[in-house]
Amino acid sequence: MRKLISLLTAALLMAVLAVPASAQEEARIHLIHGIPDTPVDVVAGGEVVFGDFQFGDTQDLSALAGETLVGLQVRVAGTEDVAIDAGDTLLPASGNYSIIAHLNAEGVPTLGVFENDTSTIDAGEGRLIVRHTAQAPAVDVKANGAVAFADLTNPNSVQADLPVGTITAEVVPAGADEPVVIGPVDLPIEDGSALIVYAVGSLDAGSVTALTESISGLGTAPTAVNTGNSPVGTNVPVWAAGLGMLLLVAVVAGRRSVIEVRS
Amino acid sequence: MFRRFLPALLLVLAACGGTATEESAVPNANDRPGPSTTTTTVLTLGEDSVEQSAVDEDAGSEFAERTRPLGSALLTPLPEPAPQPIGLVVDSVGISSAPIVDVGVEPNGEMEIPGATEIGWYRYGSTPGESGSAVLAAHIAFNGTDGVFRDLDDVEVGNIVEVLYDDGSTSRFEITETAQYAKDELPVERIFAKDGDPVLTLITCGGDFNRSVRSYSDNVVAYAQPIDR
Repeated sequence: MRKLISLLTAALLMAVLAVPASAQEEARIHLIHGIPDTPVDVVAGGEVVFGDFQFGDTQDLSALAGETLVGLQVRVAGTEDVAIDAGDTLLPASGNYSIIAHLNAEGVPTLGVFENDTSTIDAGEGRLIVRHTAQAPAVDVKANGAVAFADLTNPNSVQADLPVGTITAEVVPAGADEPVVIGPVDLPIEDGSALIVYAVGSLDAGSVTALTESISGLGTAPTAVNTGNSPVGTNVPVWAAGLGMLLLVAVVAGRRSVIEVRS
Repeated sequence: MFRRFLPALLLVLAACGGTATEESAVPNANDRPGPSTTTTTVLTLGEDSVEQSAVDEDAGSEFAERTRPLGSALLTPLPEPAPQPIGLVVDSVGISSAPIVDVGVEPNGEMEIPGATEIGWYRYGSTPGESGSAVLAAHIAFNGTDGVFRDLDDVEVGNIVEVLYDDGSTSRFEITETAQYAKDELPVERIFAKDGDPVLTLITCGGDFNRSVRSYSDNVVAYAQPIDR
């Protein structure tokens, strides 16, 4: 627990630097339960605010941006057993964050805080963000059979902007082809959206799996629609023009055949 | 490493004791000392001063009410891909089953447009009939040939538009609005909207043709909404 506190204190110091008091843009803060097989109660201000919060459940905390959650704790549901004791916790006043209750590399429950990259994505691309939040050693993330992100460790995050489409992802131990820890799983890369994939769970308990969230509205619309490079004709419909071309071809072909007969 | 650079969860040490979180493994709210409002200290790096902020101890009850559940983050199988549009019929302006091809963007950021005889469906936007704007664009005239949308500016509110899909299905739309915009005033955010009510957006060029730059001054747009769906 002392480690967590010092970690969070360090995070605080960095945060004060990074988020000036003047920053008041709209915040987006999501809380995700990323510890399998462990329903929890989230406690703040001395009372249970989300009871029986299930693995995978997500809660939107955006309305609380810039406020302090007094005595924030995550307890095993229905008990007084404190899994994570975060203490009085000031939420960022602006920015886009995901907070996930997850296991650290040693299997200890912790709160991970990630700032999400909401920079503009080029038209025709989507952003894939992968986060190692599981009790597991370093992993490689494969996309369509090739290593896309190598040597990812808990609690780190990697990302890339990729062409729109579906990729088949697998998570394997770093430097190895097997055993496949997660997947293969099909992930949608959508135009202008960030897909965040969390590796969660415990390797020792055999509960490693993936959670996802997405952030849309980061895309780029085409800048113009230029649909004409010549003046319109004499209102000849396309089908008529096509018919005319056919007749012309027929006539030319006919002449050729006549010539061929003569020769 | 990553976390060290995160503007992260701000841990606020309670002024009444920064070690409280460590010592009270199973704290009881009723044991909480002090009045209903307590002062917390926000550590500020590089400054001697500390920021004081009042904290409402009743925040807990309010906390739940002001947040909302977003469902589960568990992985779900991808849905079957939606049928793609392959043909367009607009009888009122003589478009009888013009072929639709899917298009993206040009390297310069403009929408990609097929040849004179085809209609381009913006594949990164919506599918006709689904949420947001499905964009179908075609030339008014291209390389000396009149394009499929040669007469789009004759479309009127109430005209019927039919879209044919690659699964053999058809859906019908009704023109609800027509507009003409100067090229540099084209409302691209509306036209390429990904969210909102389903709208089918037909677009071509119009206005004056400038021979020196081989381009039209305006865009002609017709918006249609789905019917019998």
